[in-house]
Amino acid sequence: MVTFQLEFQILEIQNKERLSSAVTDLNIIMEPTECSELSEFVSRAEERKDLFMFFRSLHFFVEWFEYRKRTFKHFKEKYPDAVHLSEGPSSPSIVIRSASQPGFELVIVWRIQIDEDGKVFPKLDLLTKVPQRALELDKNRAIETAPLSFRTLLGVLGIEAALESLIKSLRAEQNG
Amino acid sequence: MEQANPLRPDGESKGGVLAHLERLETQMSKSRKQSEEPQSVQAQEGALGTKIHKLRHLRDELRAAVRHRQASVKASIANVEPNLAVEMSEQEVLEEKLENVKAVLQAYRFTGLSGKLTSRGVCVCINTAFEGNLLDSYFVDLVIQKPLRIHHHSVPVFIPLEEIAAKYLQTNIQHFLFSLCEYLNAYSGRKYQADRLQSDFAALLTGPLQRNPLCNLLSFTYKLDPGGQSFPFCARLLYKDLTATLPTDVTVTYQGVDALSTSWEEQRASHETLFCMKPLHQVFASFARKGEKLDMSLVS
Repeated sequence: MVTFQLEFQILEIQNKERLSSAVTDLNIIMEPTECSELSEFVSRAEERKDLFMFFRSLHFFVEWFEYRKRTFKHFKEKYPDAVHLSEGPSSPSIVIRSASQPGFELVIVWRIQIDEDGKVFPKLDLLTKVPQRALELDKNRAIETAPLSFRTLLGVLGIEAALESLIKSLRAEQNG
Repeated sequence: MEQANPLRPDGESKGGVLAHLERLETQMSKSRKQSEEPQSVQAQEGALGTKIHKLRHLRDELRAAVRHRQASVKASIANVEPNLAVEMSEQEVLEEKLENVKAVLQAYRFTGLSGKLTSRGVCVCINTAFEGNLLDSYFVDLVIQKPLRIHHHSVPVFIPLEEIAAKYLQTNIQHFLFSLCEYLNAYSGRKYQADRLQSDFAALLTGPLQRNPLCNLLSFTYKLDPGGQSFPFCARLLYKDLTATLPTDVTVTYQGVDALSTSWEEQRASHETLFCMKPLHQVFASFARKGEKLDMSLVS
């Protein structure tokens, strides 16, 4: 849930044919801790006095926010030993570790971005952490190309299936 | 392929000496730079330290301003309450509450999406705006039945209402409404930009603005210097994404017979970029401002 305070002024001008209204002042106060991902968007909405876009994009943002939270929670519950949420339940990133292969970590950062037009879309990135020795053995440069391959995987399987396949692949070593 | 080098016999030794001199020169300038660096690094550190102080101060000021504003908002809400404490009959108290609720419901239209119950179901009102300018509103009258259906609506025929309804109406009504909101707001925004261009910048247009009802294909010719001798530019803006208010494809062409000089070609290319990045009427506003200080040397 996101809480905020909104103050705005509307100027209505009645001329012969029509009534035109424009927002002349807009102030949005949102606690910085609430949603740091929103701060840039909020300043942009204030600057443009775009009250309607603020509400519209906020709705879609919250939808994605809740979906991300649910998805991460689902994986945490399904694979409690492999999956870790670094910053608590509303964390924007998820860390996948394998108990049998310490030193290997996959971090998936799931950002929710709002562009100039107020469109809300997810942006997922994969970060890898591997021991030096593994890097040396990696002749096919799989680690290097992992972030790019992840993007492709997302396009093919979608978010949930892609995450599931990554978690399973790291756990596969555990079960031999 | 053999490279001709008429200077070859002497050239080699000249090349050697010149190359050596060059190397000595770069070495000298490098060592000069290195000796200057520690001093400039210190100066930079000092400057950054001052900057950090200034930013911290600014942050504290802003935090205090936010707290002050929150307090004043709470105070102004509290100020309304004492009026109710005055003795009033029950009737008056209820009327006051009713007025309050009506006002809140009215305020909801500023969120862009509001509705009221009808005998059959609910009538949803979608208000559109572009950058703070309130524009047209549309309504969708829904009948609560299985299946949910649209009784009637004021959505223009070129907005894909049936498509959106087919996708979302039965399964996720919220998504249906917000998706429709996106399309209508984008259409309103594009229409607003085109209207503003026609009304405010007619002086810069050399012909009529051509547009389709959906306002996602615009075509016009314009001149930066209306009285001048140059040929006009011809712009074509296509908005493939119907939920966007900025074009996806822009082409600016030159109507004259001769080829464009480099400065005009740069202008043409920069205009193409501008139309993609900023709303149409704002681009023309910047043209009008620049026109006041037009560099006459550009006019060939």
